[in-house]
Amino acid sequence: MADPSVWQTIGPFFPTRLAEASCTDLTELRGNPARGTRITLSGQVLERDRQPVRNAVVEIWQPDSEGLFAHPADPRAASADPHFLGWGRCATDANGWYRFRTIMPGRRADNASGVRLPHINMMLLASGIMRRLTTTVFFGDERAGADDPVLAAVPHASRGRLFARRAPELDRVTDEAYCFDVLIQGDEETPFFLD
Amino acid sequence: MADTVYQPYADSNQTPHRVEGYARTFTRTPDSFVERPVTLTERTGPLAVERRLAVGTADFTRTSPDGPRAQGPLMLLHGRVVDEDNNPVAGAMVEVWHANASGKYIHEDDGFNAPLDANFTGGGRVVTDADGRFTITTVKPGPYRAGPASWRAPHIHFSIIGTSWMDRMVTQVHFPGEPLNDFDMLLNAAPDGTPRESMIAHALPPRVEAGDASEFEHLFVVRGHAGGGRGG
Repeated sequence: MADPSVWQTIGPFFPTRLAEASCTDLTELRGNPARGTRITLSGQVLERDRQPVRNAVVEIWQPDSEGLFAHPADPRAASADPHFLGWGRCATDANGWYRFRTIMPGRRADNASGVRLPHINMMLLASGIMRRLTTTVFFGDERAGADDPVLAAVPHASRGRLFARRAPELDRVTDEAYCFDVLIQGDEETPFFLD
Repeated sequence: MADTVYQPYADSNQTPHRVEGYARTFTRTPDSFVERPVTLTERTGPLAVERRLAVGTADFTRTSPDGPRAQGPLMLLHGRVVDEDNNPVAGAMVEVWHANASGKYIHEDDGFNAPLDANFTGGGRVVTDADGRFTITTVKPGPYRAGPASWRAPHIHFSIIGTSWMDRMVTQVHFPGEPLNDFDMLLNAAPDGTPRESMIAHALPPRVEAGDASEFEHLFVVRGHAGGGRGG
């Protein structure tokens, strides 16, 4: 038995080349297209006083279009999309923006965790963040999410902050656009999970 | 309901979110945290990430196999990634970055007045073997000034993507016996005793096989018990 290693910030000098642009597009793997509806998920990372956080790293993890994971912990892994990695990384730009191109995650009602709304797990890494900050981005209607165990853990008043909003002004030809801003600290901060 | 495989990190063995003297930790920490259940999304994670992240050479001291070496003391670091029950984490993606021997990073934000080294790659990626092990060849990083009256002791950054959302790890590894270890703000922000000591690599006795390199080893413990995200 040993305790986990001590978490540390990534600091200000995470190499640019370890956040390659290819990590922001989850819609294909080695040239093979993933199944499902293409979306973009973008937003601005803001610290206290709503100041943009540049030079941060945003990572995401999500199920495929059917809500499945290509992972041995998922009893339905064999049915998961082999061309969907489900993982992405994006460094924020000079104004704190990130943007992913991905697949709309599927709703899932058959797993031991209960009904899961379409969702994407997100973590933030940056200078001054000593341990990663984790949250979950939900899609759809908050009122339909009462059975989702993660959403249910969040106080009513702040659940709405975990939903990505449709952003037609950002739509691209083949993608529906969603926007999810992340406010790290302050009034109306994004709910982050005790990790 | 507490999860049997993944528990929240304990403040007793982790650095606090806010570190005195590190201003950004005060503007980049949420005011509150919400307890969440561990669901399938947390128990899973991307496998074989090398399908997305290009893995190059584990030798950071030259830009081509027979190119000239970077300046500074050549060293090998032998790492092992295990879970909290000492089970090896095979196939983990390990990303590494650090300053060169003069204490300078390859990064546009690094304002430290020290030279870059054209032969030093700044780091890279390796994947752990079946026993959770990996080795990198590099030069020992130098210390550098990080603030008006603040220096970082020599250290190497590591990022590990294991088998789940929960066993992700980002840490830094220091070197034994460095005079600046006593003054490094981040090393000393870790709790006294085992947590801080666990951030310092062990020097290995010299041996013929290591050639011109000194050798260090380090154990990385990621969150999880007995098989963790593999479904055990």
